[in-house]
Amino acid sequence: MKRTVMGTIKVIPVDIFKMPRGITLTNFGYQTITIGQLDYSLRFPIVTPDAIVEINDRLRHNQAAYLSHLTVAEIISKIDQAVNLWTHPDYPQRRLAMKLLPQITGYNAETVELEIKRFIRVFRKKELMRFVDSELDQPEILDDFHPQKSGSMTKAFGPETTFHVFSGNIPGLQIWSLIMATIVKSASLGKTSMSEPLFPVLFDQSLAEVSPELADCLAILPWKGGTMNLEEAATSATDATIVYGSDTALDAIKELVPKSKIFLHYGYKISFSMIGREALTPEYYLQTVKQAIEDVAVYDQQSCLSAQTIFVEKGGTTSPLNVAKLLASELANYQLKRPRAELTNEQAAAVVRLRNDYQLKALNDSDVQVFASDGNTDWTVVYHAHPGFVNSPLNRTIHVYAIDELEQVPEYLQPFKQYLQSCGLAVKPTRLFSLANQLGRAGIDRISALGEMTRAKPGWHHDGHFNLLDLLRFIDVEQNTERAAEKFDPDVE
Amino acid sequence: MTKTSTEIQNDIYQFIQTYATTDDQQLSESDFNRVALDLFDYQFKSNLPYKRYAQSQRKSPLIVNNWQSIPLMPIQGYKQLTLSTTPVQKDEPVFMSSGTTDPNHRSHNYHPSFKVWDASMKYPFKQFVLPDRDKMTILGLFPGEKTNSNSSLSRYVTKAIDFFGDDKSGIFIDENGMDYQGIVGALKDAERQGRPVMLLGASFSYVHLLDYLNEQKLTFKLPVDSRLFDTGGFKGQSRSVDAQDLFDAIKNTFNIDRDHYINMYGMTEISSQCYDQNLVRLYHHLPLDYTKAAPAWVRVRILSTDTLQPVESGHAGLIAYYDLANWNSCVAILTEDMGIQDENGFEVSGRVQGAEAKGCSIAVDQLLHANQM
Repeated sequence: MKRTVMGTIKVIPVDIFKMPRGITLTNFGYQTITIGQLDYSLRFPIVTPDAIVEINDRLRHNQAAYLSHLTVAEIISKIDQAVNLWTHPDYPQRRLAMKLLPQITGYNAETVELEIKRFIRVFRKKELMRFVDSELDQPEILDDFHPQKSGSMTKAFGPETTFHVFSGNIPGLQIWSLIMATIVKSASLGKTSMSEPLFPVLFDQSLAEVSPELADCLAILPWKGGTMNLEEAATSATDATIVYGSDTALDAIKELVPKSKIFLHYGYKISFSMIGREALTPEYYLQTVKQAIEDVAVYDQQSCLSAQTIFVEKGGTTSPLNVAKLLASELANYQLKRPRAELTNEQAAAVVRLRNDYQLKALNDSDVQVFASDGNTDWTVVYHAHPGFVNSPLNRTIHVYAIDELEQVPEYLQPFKQYLQSCGLAVKPTRLFSLANQLGRAGIDRISALGEMTRAKPGWHHDGHFNLLDLLRFIDVEQNTERAAEKFDPDVE
Repeated sequence: MTKTSTEIQNDIYQFIQTYATTDDQQLSESDFNRVALDLFDYQFKSNLPYKRYAQSQRKSPLIVNNWQSIPLMPIQGYKQLTLSTTPVQKDEPVFMSSGTTDPNHRSHNYHPSFKVWDASMKYPFKQFVLPDRDKMTILGLFPGEKTNSNSSLSRYVTKAIDFFGDDKSGIFIDENGMDYQGIVGALKDAERQGRPVMLLGASFSYVHLLDYLNEQKLTFKLPVDSRLFDTGGFKGQSRSVDAQDLFDAIKNTFNIDRDHYINMYGMTEISSQCYDQNLVRLYHHLPLDYTKAAPAWVRVRILSTDTLQPVESGHAGLIAYYDLANWNSCVAILTEDMGIQDENGFEVSGRVQGAEAKGCSIAVDQLLHANQM
């Protein structure tokens, strides 16, 4: 038992799992985090493959008994009510999240608070309606048969249960996936990562306040990624598997998913930004730099939406080299305001290695310059006078490439095509869509304003694909069936 | 006055002679500091890329007044730059790394003379590997100098046998592969004659040898005082090996105990080696200690990966290696190896890997790896 001069530390139990009612777990592990005089004891179940099967059976039962009977509109409305709870600063779950997430993830507390507040609002009713609408002309097709232009009557079915494998890089991101599955009326078995096991559990608690029956269609628990027997049980018991995270995590699980089942993967991605000369006028250049840094500093580039490289066009009032220096000083300011997370040895060593590589290169190559925080790895800017493209070891480390015309950027992207994702863009209207078209051809799937890169909007084609549609299957009742059925109407004349 | 190449080599050679058999770093500290500073001054004047790197770190002999503040050349410098205080001659001996991580870029360490290198190799080998005798049967399991003249380890193995091997010693591997039958014959002879042997090779040499012996169901009861020496590690090889499994296999196959297993830390970019201390302590009847010790002309510091400042004793960090024997390139090197040090010695915990991306973002190494596949 820990003692301090102030007395005994108070221990607060927190469950980082959530089970449907009727599931009893008996074997637990614990992890403690200390904040001031409080110890939070995080409790999580240690489960067997049999338990996974039992949980899935229960989810399947609850889905059939309840979720499958809700309309999409009702589901959205219930989610909206849960989201609304989170918009109150005093909401206990929100307060707990704001308190524990910075400790668990290492991210700056202010960043977590701000980003969670922004993020949760993405799931309000009107946003969810837009989201569903962007993929389904008739969202009611999930509720009942609806006539199609072809003549058939069609209904859509989601999986009965979906297995989600979450990564822990961005707090809260898990609920995107959970809400998607819920909207298509799938129950969810969510495997969280110990690097962020909390938020989806807290959100499920909010759902339980609104509708215990709906919350019973979700089960959330962490286990160590790569635990084969559990993952095998989960992939074969559920109807669909969605995996977030590294290729290593992916490969192991993909093997386990039966061919007949839905498998979706959101993996490695690289994002970058492009600054046109028109955004570097005396009026705008400082604002442009600040926005560009937002895309780098929020969550320390751990999001696949974060900029790793910035192309700066020549010919603006301020030169690309000068922009690189301004980016460096803005990163230094940001560090004072919202310090970066502490790094593991591996992460810090990766930054050190990058700096060493380019500092050595700079000895013989005046086209390369390194601007870096003094005495630590807090931030690094590598300036390249000639265009190219390379990804970064993250944690507020960026490459800045000078380029004559932004229209030339796509030629440097080719080797990275399969990994490209978002581009933050600051250009004038006449260039926007021709550049967007070029970037689309190059493999980019999302373009946003500078400063907004890490905040994807609902309805975004995540990694370039549909979110809901990929989970659905359809049944068509042909018109001839209807006509034939008419014949058997005893009342027909 | 900046020393000449000959003068600085003589100073270092003298230092090595003086402190040949002591690893008590306090005893040598003031001499080490003096020679290290002279050496940095010499290298700063004669090794232009090192000078420029030092200047980029705002360091010069004028302001560097103890060995701890000598600028550390990142080990990548041996790939990206030509680091030599003397003009590189055609056909000058050069050690190159095997270049496993980046085949296009191999480290180069030039050796216009081996006088210092040989002295630096010889005494610690005697002290740490052969504390109980002057010569023994050494079975080399790594290609010798003749097979690979650009490998520092090849030269090391050849010299070990030259200096310390008896007439039964030899190298059992060349460009055609390992001579398994030769090794088995040599081991059987030693077993029969009650003559202790030393197996000396790279870590992965043993993976193949143990596989072969296991397949052939061959085991040996090697005589007391036999020992097994390895260097390198198992990462990135055909398969990874758990340390305890390896010790068990060594015991079961050769009858060599854990306390007669010794690991050497060395690399292309440096010119001195460090060793596990267990053997020297065992033969001096001291309590066992499996950490590594450096010879008097080497200092090891463990630096924080974030600040590159020394960490507290017992904490992990990057190994910084200060080596007087590295007279022709850089006296101070920042390695990419992680280590832990306490008052007794240091341990190497392995090459630092690329940061594992926590989620969907991608880190350099993984991308490189992905593109290789």
